[in-house]
Amino acid sequence: MADAAIQGHDEHHERSFFTRWFMSTNHKDIGILYLFTSAVVGFVAVAFTVYMRMELKDPGIQYMCEEGARMFAGETCAPNGHIWNVIVTAHGILMMFFVVIPALFGGFGNYFMPLHIGAPDMAFPRMNNLSYWLYVAGSSLAIASVVSPGGNGQLGSGVGWVLYPPLSTSEAGFSMDLAIFAVHLSGASSILGAINMITTFLNMRAPGMTLFKVPLFAWSIFVTAWLILLSLPVLAGAITMLLTDRNFGTTFFQPAGGGDPVLYQHILWFFGHPEVYIIILPAFGIISHVIATFSRKPVFGYLPMVWALVAIGALGFVVWAHHMYTVGMSLTQQTYFMLATMVIAVPTGVKIFSWIATMWGGSIEFKTPMLWAFGFLFLFTVGGVTGIVLSQAGVDRAYHDTYYVVAHFHYVMSLGAVFGIFAGMYYWLGKMSGRQYPEWAGKLHFWTMFIGSNITFFPQHFLGRQGMPRRYIDYPEAFAYWNEVSSWGAFLAFASFLWFIGIVFYTLMYGKRITEENYWNEHADTLEWTLPTPPPEHTFETLPKREDWDKGHAH
Amino acid sequence: MPYHWSDADSHTTLKLWPHQSMTPRGFVWFIGATAALLTLPLFAVLGSAVAWVLMLFFLATIAGVWRAITANQAARTTEETLTLSDTHLGLLHKPPKGRTLSWEANRHWVTVNLRNDGPVERYLTLRGGGREVELGAFLTPEEREALYNELQSRIAAT
Repeated sequence: MADAAIQGHDEHHERSFFTRWFMSTNHKDIGILYLFTSAVVGFVAVAFTVYMRMELKDPGIQYMCEEGARMFAGETCAPNGHIWNVIVTAHGILMMFFVVIPALFGGFGNYFMPLHIGAPDMAFPRMNNLSYWLYVAGSSLAIASVVSPGGNGQLGSGVGWVLYPPLSTSEAGFSMDLAIFAVHLSGASSILGAINMITTFLNMRAPGMTLFKVPLFAWSIFVTAWLILLSLPVLAGAITMLLTDRNFGTTFFQPAGGGDPVLYQHILWFFGHPEVYIIILPAFGIISHVIATFSRKPVFGYLPMVWALVAIGALGFVVWAHHMYTVGMSLTQQTYFMLATMVIAVPTGVKIFSWIATMWGGSIEFKTPMLWAFGFLFLFTVGGVTGIVLSQAGVDRAYHDTYYVVAHFHYVMSLGAVFGIFAGMYYWLGKMSGRQYPEWAGKLHFWTMFIGSNITFFPQHFLGRQGMPRRYIDYPEAFAYWNEVSSWGAFLAFASFLWFIGIVFYTLMYGKRITEENYWNEHADTLEWTLPTPPPEHTFETLPKREDWDKGHAH
Repeated sequence: MPYHWSDADSHTTLKLWPHQSMTPRGFVWFIGATAALLTLPLFAVLGSAVAWVLMLFFLATIAGVWRAITANQAARTTEETLTLSDTHLGLLHKPPKGRTLSWEANRHWVTVNLRNDGPVERYLTLRGGGREVELGAFLTPEEREALYNELQSRIAAT
C-alpha cells in the first residue's frame, strides 16, 4: 500500500550547471534554452540581412566579390552572385526553421503552456529534451552548410529556402545535403515537440478546465502543434525524396525519369503555407493576453477568438497553391485557390477586431509589452492587406517574385511574429527571471525597431510595384533611391536588436528584483501569475485551485 | 468528481482515479480529424510515386501521436479501490506500473484524517491495521475535503 508520506518530502539538492542546462527535463529550463538558442541563431540570420542590405544599399557590387566577401568596399570587385544566393538561402532557412518557431513555440510554448493549463510539466519531459537537442543539432548543420563545399566551386548552396528542384538536385557539393539534413532534424524536433504539446494539452488540463476554458495562449500553442503535426511530415517526405533524387538516382521530381518538379512545389507549399501560421499563431496568443492585461479588460469574444484560431489553422491547409499561381494551373484551380485564400481574411478579421474591441473602453496603459502589441496589430494588418492584394491570381502575375512579395511576407512574419516575440519577452521577462527591465530602455527598443523595420520594408512595396525582382544581388540605377532608404532602415533595426541584447543582459544581472506574483494587474489572470516570481523549479505538482484560473468572464 | 461510490448488499465500494482531461470521445475526434486532414495533400500528388512516400510519413505520424497519447494516459492511470464491509476495510492501490499495493484494517478501529503536514494540501489518510495509508493523493484539495466528510459518515454508520 502507498503508506502515508508525512515528513521529509522535500529533499532539495542543487543540480550542477551541467545537469541543469544540458540534461534538463524541466519544461521551464528547456523553454529558456530554446529562447537563448533561437536568439543566437537569430543573431546570425539577422547579421546576414545586414550584409545583404549593405550590398543592396547602392547599385553595383561592393562587398560580395569574386575576390572574396568583404566588410569594406574596395577598389576592384567582380560580382559574385553565389555568395548572395547562399546568404539569401541561409537567411530564409534559419529564420523559417530555426529562429521564430523555436522562440515562440519551443520557448514560450514550453515555458507557459503547461503553466496555463495547470500541468506539472510536459507529458514527456525526456522527449522534450530530445526535441531541444535535435533543434541544436539541426541549427549547427544549417550553419555548417553555409561554409561547406557547394555549387559553383564555392562554399554553401544558393538554391533558396524552398529548395526547389531541379536547382536543388543539381547543386554540386555536400552543402545542399547538409541543408536537407538540417531541415530533417528541425522537422523531427518540431514533430516530437508537437506530439508532446498535443499530449500535454489534451491529457493534462486541470480538472474543470474544459477546452473552451483554456487560456488563448495555450490554445494557440495547441493549434500550432497540430499544424506542425499535419504539415511537417509532408515536408519531411518531400526533402527525403529530394535527398534520394540527389544521391540515389530516384526520379520523383526529375522529368527525365517520369517525375515532375511541380509536384515538389505542391507538397513544399502544402507544408509552407501552414508553416506561416505555425510561425504567427503563438504570437496571436501572446498578443491576446498582452492586450487584455494592458487594457484592463477581459479579452473580447473569447469563443470566436478560439474558433478563429482553429479556422485559420484549417484554412491554412487548403490554400497552398496561391504561392505558385504561375506554374500553369487551370483557371478553375486558380479561382478556387484565390477564393479560399481570401476567406482567410474572415477569421483573421475576427481576431483583429476582437483585439480592437478588447481595447475599446478599456483603461489602456502603454507599458512596453503593450507598445509591441500595438506595433504587431498595425504591422500585421498592413501585411494582411497586401496579402489580400497578392491573393488575386491576376494581380499576382505582376507581383510574383518582386519585392512586393518580400515586403508582404516580412510585414506578417518578420514584423508580425517578431513583434509578438518581443511583446512576450517584455511581458514575461520579469516572471521568468525575477528581475524587471528598465521601462525606458524597452520603449526605446520598441520605437527604434518600429521605425527601423517600417523604413526597411515599406519602401519595398514601391520597389515591387516598380518591378524590381527579388533574389538578385544587383539592380538598375532606377531602383537606387528606395533601396538606399530601405538599407538605412535595416541598419536602424539592427541597432535596436543589439540594444535589446543589452537590455536582456542588463536585466538578468542588474535589473530591479520583483517579488510580487503578479507585477502587472489583475487582468493578467492566467495561472503563471499565481506563482512566485520567478516560479520554483516544480509547479502544480498538486492540482491548481479552480478559482485561481476560472475567472468566469472568459466566455 | 473522479471518485465513485457503489453500494452492494454486503459491502460498499469506493473507486478513485486521477483526473484525465481527455475523454475517449475526444480521442476519437482528435485522431479522426488528424487522419482526415492528412489526406489533403494527397490530392495534389495522386497518381505519382510521391503519394506513396508521403503516405508512409502520414502513417508514422498517426501511429506516433496515437501511441504518445495512449501511453501518457496509461502512465497517468492510478486506481484505488476501497471496500467497506460490516467489520472490515480493504484498500487496493494499483499504480500505472509495478505491483498492486493493499491494506486491510478493522472498520471499528480505523480513523480518517485530513492532514496539513502531508506532501499535498489537505492530505487524506486512513489509520488502522498498524499503518497509516494515503487515499486520493491525486485528487484536488476540495475533492479530498468532500471525500473526507463522506468517509467519516460512511465508516461511522453501521
